[in-house]
Amino acid sequence: MSRQSSRATDPRKISQELFTLTYGALVAQLVKDYEGDEEVNKQLDKMGYNIGIRLVEDFLARSGIGRCNDFRETADIIAKSGFRMFLGVTPSVSNWSPAGDEFSLLMDNNPLTDFVELPEDHSNLNYSNVLCGVIRGALESVQMDVSVRFVQDTLKGDNQTEIRVKFIQRLEDALPAGEE
Amino acid sequence: MADDFIFDFLHMEIVNFVQRTTSPDDKDKVISKLEQMGYRVGQSLIEKFTRESPRFSSELDIIKFVCKDLWNGVYKKQVDNLRTNHQGVYVLQDNKFRLLTQMSSGKQYMEAAPQYLAFPCGLIRGGLANLGVNCVVTAEVSTMPACKFQVMIQRT
Amino acid sequence: MAVCVAVIAKENYPLYIRTIPTENELKFHYTVHTCLDVIEEKVSSVGKSSNDLRELYLGLLYPTEDYKVYGYVTNTKVKFVIVVESSNTQMRDNEIRNMFKTLHNAYVDMLCNPFYTPGENVKSKAFDNTVNQMMIQD
Repeated sequence: MSRQSSRATDPRKISQELFTLTYGALVAQLVKDYEGDEEVNKQLDKMGYNIGIRLVEDFLARSGIGRCNDFRETADIIAKSGFRMFLGVTPSVSNWSPAGDEFSLLMDNNPLTDFVELPEDHSNLNYSNVLCGVIRGALESVQMDVSVRFVQDTLKGDNQTEIRVKFIQRLEDALPAGEE
Repeated sequence: MADDFIFDFLHMEIVNFVQRTTSPDDKDKVISKLEQMGYRVGQSLIEKFTRESPRFSSELDIIKFVCKDLWNGVYKKQVDNLRTNHQGVYVLQDNKFRLLTQMSSGKQYMEAAPQYLAFPCGLIRGGLANLGVNCVVTAEVSTMPACKFQVMIQRT
Repeated sequence: MAVCVAVIAKENYPLYIRTIPTENELKFHYTVHTCLDVIEEKVSSVGKSSNDLRELYLGLLYPTEDYKVYGYVTNTKVKFVIVVESSNTQMRDNEIRNMFKTLHNAYVDMLCNPFYTPGENVKSKAFDNTVNQMMIQD
């Protein structure tokens, strides 16, 4: 009897699940190791930052995308290429600030939280905070200083997940990005 | 396409993170933390992977499943060679182990190899434990990126 | 529909049990406990005879006057037990099978929650919801 044929395997789905489960094991470990959700959020953001600065080169090479002309274009690329390539979902870009320096990424479905049920005593945990770090790290590598934070999270009972990205300044000198 | 390397990025950062947040004199702690995370992931993955499989008939049957299905799912290839002494020791050889391929093959990187193999060892141990096979898993690199995983069944 | 749904750990202690009506819980604890031997027997025959049972669904474990008890064992040796009333003659084997399949999927998702420690009692809301759907009286 061949076991190979017994299971329909979708490699893309398995990769996604492996990523989701590994990330979950990491967050659970951090929750054990650190006191307070704020500290865990901070560590996740830092790790995301480090992943972001490494990821961006790979991303630019794969997607063939060049320099962005403005912040609106950047927002579109993060949503339509970045998120899709790495998480398999495409968030919508909305809630632009009047000055055009701030926008939201809205997700109905966040693959990172597929199996997650937050324990009641961790209401301040931003489970997917790594994503904020990744965006920050990636944009810093292309000379854009931004701040990124979670505004809504379906894990906490919100209808959708919302990540807010705010442009701070353009970094003139391309300092080699270092690990935090 | 992209999603199989996104895991590699995450794994690499987890290794770095555990290293930089653990005291340098405590190498064992680094290894055991990574191993534990792998163990937990292995438990879940095997539960998913065996959801539709027919029931296993023997221990060897289970090990073969790990070499084929689990490996294929996680590393996109099968184990290249499986050997056993028929007394509870299995050696799984992967000639091009994915989590080592990102590292250069120079000698100085050999020292870092154990940190990169702790999570995969835990993953195997967690998967097998969930299938009722309790074991100790160790890994050994002779030439990068080839790697041998030794599974020693614990019978009590 | 089901009057009792139970999940038993590989070490044979209950991880989850839900009954309708709830007063019957103690009685069903006993029922579930007694069927473990039947399950054990069925599963241990795997690999020993030519017509062994390699399917995860074990079928009807035993009928009593009032109830029919069905069993299912995952490859990780977690046991699921579903009890239906004997008077409920409309339940076909296929429906029972599907209920187990749904239960199994819900269990897998529950186990994948990083905040769940395998072996602990199941307290997941999502899992509860799935079981509730199986227990709605029609």
